[in-house]
Amino acid sequence: MPFLRFIGFSAVRAWQGFWRNAMMSLATTATVVLMLVLLSGLFIVISGLNSGLQFIESKVGVTAELVGEPQHPDLTQPQLDALIAYTRALPGVDSVTYVSPQEAMDRLREVYKSRGQELDLGESAGNIKLYASIEVSLSDPKYGQSVTDALSQRDEVVQITTKQAAVDKLVGIINVIRTVGLVAITLVGLTVLFMIVNTIRIAVYARANEIEIMRLVGASDSFIRWPFILEGILCGLLGALVAIGMVAIVWDPIQPVLFNVFQMPVAVGSRFLATLSALLLAVGFGVGALGSWISVRSYLTA
Amino acid sequence: MSLTLESAGTVEPAIGAAARTGAETVISMLDAGVTYPNGKVALNDVNVTIPRGDFVFLVGASGAGKTTFIRLLIREVLPTSGRVTVAGRDLVRLRRREVPRLRRRIGIVFQDFRLLPAKTVFENVAFALEVTGASRGEIRRRVPMLLNLVGLHQHTEHLPTQLSGGEQQRVAIARALVHDPAILIADEPTGNLDPVTSWEIIQLLIQINALGTTVLMATHNQEIVNAMRRRVLALEGGMLVRDEPEAAYEREY
Repeated sequence: MPFLRFIGFSAVRAWQGFWRNAMMSLATTATVVLMLVLLSGLFIVISGLNSGLQFIESKVGVTAELVGEPQHPDLTQPQLDALIAYTRALPGVDSVTYVSPQEAMDRLREVYKSRGQELDLGESAGNIKLYASIEVSLSDPKYGQSVTDALSQRDEVVQITTKQAAVDKLVGIINVIRTVGLVAITLVGLTVLFMIVNTIRIAVYARANEIEIMRLVGASDSFIRWPFILEGILCGLLGALVAIGMVAIVWDPIQPVLFNVFQMPVAVGSRFLATLSALLLAVGFGVGALGSWISVRSYLTA
Repeated sequence: MSLTLESAGTVEPAIGAAARTGAETVISMLDAGVTYPNGKVALNDVNVTIPRGDFVFLVGASGAGKTTFIRLLIREVLPTSGRVTVAGRDLVRLRRREVPRLRRRIGIVFQDFRLLPAKTVFENVAFALEVTGASRGEIRRRVPMLLNLVGLHQHTEHLPTQLSGGEQQRVAIARALVHDPAILIADEPTGNLDPVTSWEIIQLLIQINALGTTVLMATHNQEIVNAMRRRVLALEGGMLVRDEPEAAYEREY
């Protein structure tokens, strides 16, 4: 019971303190909202890009172009079978698909068609022959290098291409966005912290008379300090709730982008809003508690 | 004040009435001194023992050390030398988190009342209970009782600004008594009051003293001290220069 009374007392005082200097408290809450909305944006973009990256990585394979006419004789069927069997036996190989020169040409036409163009090779069309190739998909992208090395030593293979370069580029972009985003959020976070420290400082000064009387009549430190800490936490949590509300409003247009463009797995996507909300509440709580704690430590010295 | 220096160092501590009957000591200072960080010696080698139930006046010019004496008792300052014991607690050894418990054993009132202007009479007294974790039932039981004791049961819902100075001081006294303290310290309680009201406050303090609470009153009011004939502690330049039972404001011999 005494503990409940203490909590009740502190909560009521924190609430009164929040509204006593409403302008300042609301301004602080607004900066918390700003920070958390930025954080949400970053979280959504990074999560989306990461999902996209995982999707691409899952599709990453190794493509080996095979020798063929006119420089070399085409591979015989037994040679081809042997190569495919050899490749299948390599560690990390999931499946191997043979793409004939004709299929390769069909795909090229498809690519042009998807861009709304017609592949026109003119008079030389009959002389052009694309390389036959085998497409190797991997059970894990980390096997890419060993499979590439093994295949490149085979005489049947002319050239090896992978999507690793594209993946590396995407990883680079994600890292840049993450770094820039985190720097921006840290700067905004410091501003928020400063605002909370200041708000609580003013709250402490506004209650200077009460604090003096509390000390004289023998109130313990926790009774004197916790209302201010709770007031800071209140700013942080209110800011988090507003930010969650804002994200929830724009969630409907964002959701399809995450699923369709970034190929986010449905299992992750369905929990996404809950995860983000928990993150925002935790950050709001943390920044509020930290700011008010700093303030109470600095301005409420016994 | 006509004190000579040679008398200053050789004061015989007076023994109060209660001490003679072997009552428990509530305040004891043994060679207590306070030197502030800026080098100012505010109290120097003070030796005093106050037994439970005493009524003591603390007199002295401004800057004589009265305020430091009081701050020492409520442990707002620590003695830089000697020992101070209040309500059975050694203040030097007292841990920081035990200070609130000490302060509940001491009630204190000031010249400027220090009431919270936005709270009613009832709330001002209740606040002191609330911030020390008292239950609602306890507040409902104790506050009316105390307001009754100081004669303000008719004014519970008034704001301090609606009261006279004397009434405000009564609220402050009721607040100081919420934890049933062993000691009531009154720092110039009549400083802002007219003579008639001052006497009413003194009557109230005597009444509280008669109920068993030790009262220490710092004052400049010669008339009151002379009329009351209680124990007088006189400070001068941080030294206790006189400790006399049933005494007057100034030395009479």
